[in-house]
Amino acid sequence: MALVHFENYIWKYTQTEVPALKGINLEIEEGTFVGIIGPNGAGKTTLAYSINGLIPNQYYGVRKGHVYVMGKETEDYRPDELTKIVGIVFSDPESQFTAMTVEDEVVFGMENIGLSVDEIQERLEWVVPLTKISPLMDKPPYEVSGGQKARVALASVLAMTPQILVLDEPTSMLDPISRKQVFDVLAQLKQEQHSTIIVIEHSLENLIPLADRMVLLYEGEVALVDDTEPFFEQMDFLLKRDVFPPGAIRFFYELLKGGYYQGELPLTLDEAAARLRTLMESRRR
Amino acid sequence: MNKTLLGYVPEESPIYDVHPFVRVFFLFVVSLFPMIIAAPEWNALLVVLVIILMRYSRINLATLKFYVPVAVSMGSLILFSYTVFAGNHPEFIELVRFLGIRIYYERIVEATVVYFRIVPMIFITVYFLSSSRERDIIVAMRSVRIPFAITYLVAMALRAAGMVLQDFSIVRQAEKARGFDPAGKSIAYKLRQFVMYIIPLFALALRRADEFSNALVARGYSFTGLLRNPKRADYVLTHYHFRTHDLVIIIVLAVMLVALLVLRYGFGLLTLEGSLTEALLRSILL
Repeated sequence: MALVHFENYIWKYTQTEVPALKGINLEIEEGTFVGIIGPNGAGKTTLAYSINGLIPNQYYGVRKGHVYVMGKETEDYRPDELTKIVGIVFSDPESQFTAMTVEDEVVFGMENIGLSVDEIQERLEWVVPLTKISPLMDKPPYEVSGGQKARVALASVLAMTPQILVLDEPTSMLDPISRKQVFDVLAQLKQEQHSTIIVIEHSLENLIPLADRMVLLYEGEVALVDDTEPFFEQMDFLLKRDVFPPGAIRFFYELLKGGYYQGELPLTLDEAAARLRTLMESRRR
Repeated sequence: MNKTLLGYVPEESPIYDVHPFVRVFFLFVVSLFPMIIAAPEWNALLVVLVIILMRYSRINLATLKFYVPVAVSMGSLILFSYTVFAGNHPEFIELVRFLGIRIYYERIVEATVVYFRIVPMIFITVYFLSSSRERDIIVAMRSVRIPFAITYLVAMALRAAGMVLQDFSIVRQAEKARGFDPAGKSIAYKLRQFVMYIIPLFALALRRADEFSNALVARGYSFTGLLRNPKRADYVLTHYHFRTHDLVIIIVLAVMLVALLVLRYGFGLLTLEGSLTEALLRSILL
């Protein structure tokens, strides 16, 4: 059974004429790392908010179809039940800060879902080193750097140990090093916890190596969904829809198209370098 | 350095040994002292004591210079209102008459008393704000079992104040970058153009409220502090414990408050009559 299941799902905000999401059919399996991409206005954030119940609970609009989380409609969950299952990290970490210090911020959600002091302490001992925010605990969350804010926001949600983690453009405001730090945490979560992680992201270089599956949203519809490698084989389709995969993938795609290379597309720069080396050596022979 | 509401305090300041509740208690109780004491010299002494405490707490005394204009303008306003708008009092001693305005000796004395009541309060507040963070206020409230929803409202208000100032600064810079700079223009022009700041600020505030509301829902918050479970853990409080010296400070402050009330209303001490200030003013003005 899919952990998240969209069935003919349509959502239209009251103030807009066109639906933000138009008949979404999508399944997300437990333990998968899903990357959701698409141009601005494609409906990515609406999709994320629909998984954790912010839509329709916090927004006015027209809803059709179904969104199931663990086999149950999101509308049928009590808000606190869904909060425990689906954690969401917003694109602007500062907008989700609710407390005066980083420690209070991380603890806030755990107190809300009714954990005891001992449980909170135990989870802090796990999440603080994981997100490397130990030196920040006493500082106001809105006064630390952009990368640190993103890690604090992530820690605050992780501490609630949701079964599904949704990240809405978590690195959109970050420099490359901070982006890598956030994705390092996600990589560790994937490897050690086998968490179900859904990441909406424009930074494909970081997303692709981790993603098991990719979803392209375009004009409110699921334009393409597949495992990561075959997903990027649809290069012309992606380019036509304003998705520009990393240079290494595009380079190998051009080689593939020109008949200079046969095989799978490399998804990382390291893979690309290794395959290019092999290719060059085979040509030399 | 740790950031406080008004500045920074070194990490090794002795102020951190004092429980946040005691600091709030100090603010409220010691602020009452000048209301009980009428003799200005005692209130001046209280100012000196607060400055000594600030120094002991390793607060940068240079911050006080920002409050000198406040103290001066406040003193001028008080003196002005007590003298120019003193009214007609034939029973008072008239010192001078200018353009039909009578300046009375008693009114100047009253202005002095009021001024020396307000100045210590300003210093006490500055001391508190310079040595405490938003979190201290919240911890102080929670440690006396004030409901979480109320303390959280206070926390949000404190945070919102900082955010509005930050947004204002961003809006001002953005307006300036596009050539809108009221510097050097008349006050009337500045007031008229203030709307240029207010509209984007208002729009930002609405957006922030929306985002904040989403954040609260996403983190499982309800107004009662917990959605279903009646008991909410307060992890932050586990870092703070009342110690002997905290209790001693509370008792000493409470005893001082009672002692001042007894001295003033039981024995008629600490009044203006017979005070050094009154004698000084009499010798100068009469």
